Amino acid sequence: MKVLKIEEIVRGILDGDRRAVSRGISVIENDYDSTVARRIIKEIFPSTGRAHIVGITGPPGIGKSTMIGNLSAMLSKKGFRVSVVAVDASSPFSGGSLLGNRIRMQESLSKYGVYMRSLANRGMNGGLSRSVWDAVKILDASGSDYIIVETVGAGQADLDIVNLAETVIVVLGPGLGDEIQAIKAGIMEIGHVFVINKMDRQGAFIAMKDIEETLAMSPSGEWKPPVVGVNSLTGEGYETFIEKIQEHGNFVKNHSGSILRKFRTELQMTIIQELRRKFESDISLFLGDNAVIERLIREKVDPYSAAEKLVKKIT
Amino acid sequence: MFKDKPIKILLAKPGIDGHDRGILVLAKAFRDAGMEVIYVGLLPTPEEVVDTAINEDVDVVALSLLNGAHMTVFKKVADLMKEKGVKDIAVVGGGTIPDADKPKLEKLGISGNYGPGTPIAEIIKHITERAAEIRKLKATGE
Ligand SMILES: Nc1nc2c(ncn2[C@@H]2O[C@H](COP(=O)(O)OP(=O)(O)OP(=O)(O)O)[C@@H](O)[C@H]2O)c(=O)[nH]1
Ligand SMILES: [Mg+2]
Repeated sequence: MKVLKIEEIVRGILDGDRRAVSRGISVIENDYDSTVARRIIKEIFPSTGRAHIVGITGPPGIGKSTMIGNLSAMLSKKGFRVSVVAVDASSPFSGGSLLGNRIRMQESLSKYGVYMRSLANRGMNGGLSRSVWDAVKILDASGSDYIIVETVGAGQADLDIVNLAETVIVVLGPGLGDEIQAIKAGIMEIGHVFVINKMDRQGAFIAMKDIEETLAMSPSGEWKPPVVGVNSLTGEGYETFIEKIQEHGNFVKNHSGSILRKFRTELQMTIIQELRRKFESDISLFLGDNAVIERLIREKVDPYSAAEKLVKKIT
Repeated sequence: MFKDKPIKILLAKPGIDGHDRGILVLAKAFRDAGMEVIYVGLLPTPEEVVDTAINEDVDVVALSLLNGAHMTVFKKVADLMKEKGVKDIAVVGGGTIPDADKPKLEKLGISGNYGPGTPIAEIIKHITERAAEIRKLKATGE
């Protein structure tokens, strides 16, 4: 990739050029919130909003990546342009990461020329890392019909997918044991389509019934989340699965509530980020001044009063 | 930009070469050295290797072959990169490579070319250096 300039990246993204898309995502990932990264997003933003963003979440090893391989193959065959983003956890010790999602979908990706990008969450505490939001915008502006996002499979990031994706797929399966109760407590509210994977395995029908009953007891809005059983090794159940995804996509299009909520959430995150950015240097200057800190301790100033005074001064 | 961020590396065994235990050990060692490692198992064709490297925008592609096909397969990867105008992804090699072939590979831009039994620390050091060059190149695109 000969060295790309920012204008080339922007133009390339809008033209659907892979190398520009790739480099754009790297800029976002490595230099998040820099002027360059912001400029890319600002310039491509008018071309976003076309893709159907589908989030896939569920416990580790349940089959999310295998499923994305199947979905991208089938959607490609139907003539849609599919892109994939898969997030893996970074090691808290080394900061490194084994990005292992690709291996499960490689065959479909290369057969159908599907763009897929692996991202490490880089120790983002709580929520999907912010760069995923902008990576998705780049893929959207580059002309994707579907963008499928795989979460790390644990914790806050999995709940946060609901803020990013229009359609959230919760994948469950047999063999989760008692763990299923804990998992359900976290993710039953966020799913738009529930999938029981590994229908070839013993206990799959029980798992499916369990989820159906739980859903029947939970209050739901206008959209009643369906439960679909699939076997990702044979592709069984996928026609129905894809229909449900598309049905939900149409539902969202006709109900502006979810669009408003999503934009509002992202705007809120961005405002807080912008506030932090604006005052970061003032705050660290203040915190770095030993004389001031020592004085506050000596005079027994409580943290609230000290903070209120500082904020009054810098705003 | 890109200065102190983790090195992103694609580990690939192009061609149908059954052994992939060794490469998994490497993948884990690279992760423990702070790298983001994409391990794709067997990537059958050089085309797939290059496409994956581009889509993932890695800094380094590490190719490994134990079947003696390196002169054709590694060369194909280097040629494809050139063909596509990819200049800012480093390619390093490894496997059973006779000393006589090493200068030829170097000439193609494929460095390292370590044999089995090379201390992992040495490989990591080499990759880190190559990645640093690449990052510098990317930064000037700014
Ligand atoms: N029997 C059976 N195995 C499956 C099915 N779907 C996936 N698997 C297997 O389950 C294992 C895990 O699959 P992945 O696709 O990597 O699961 P994942 O949820 O992406 O895993 P993480 O990303 O590590 O959380 C693999 O060995 C798959 O082959 C299925 O429908 N039936
Ligand atoms: Mg996975």
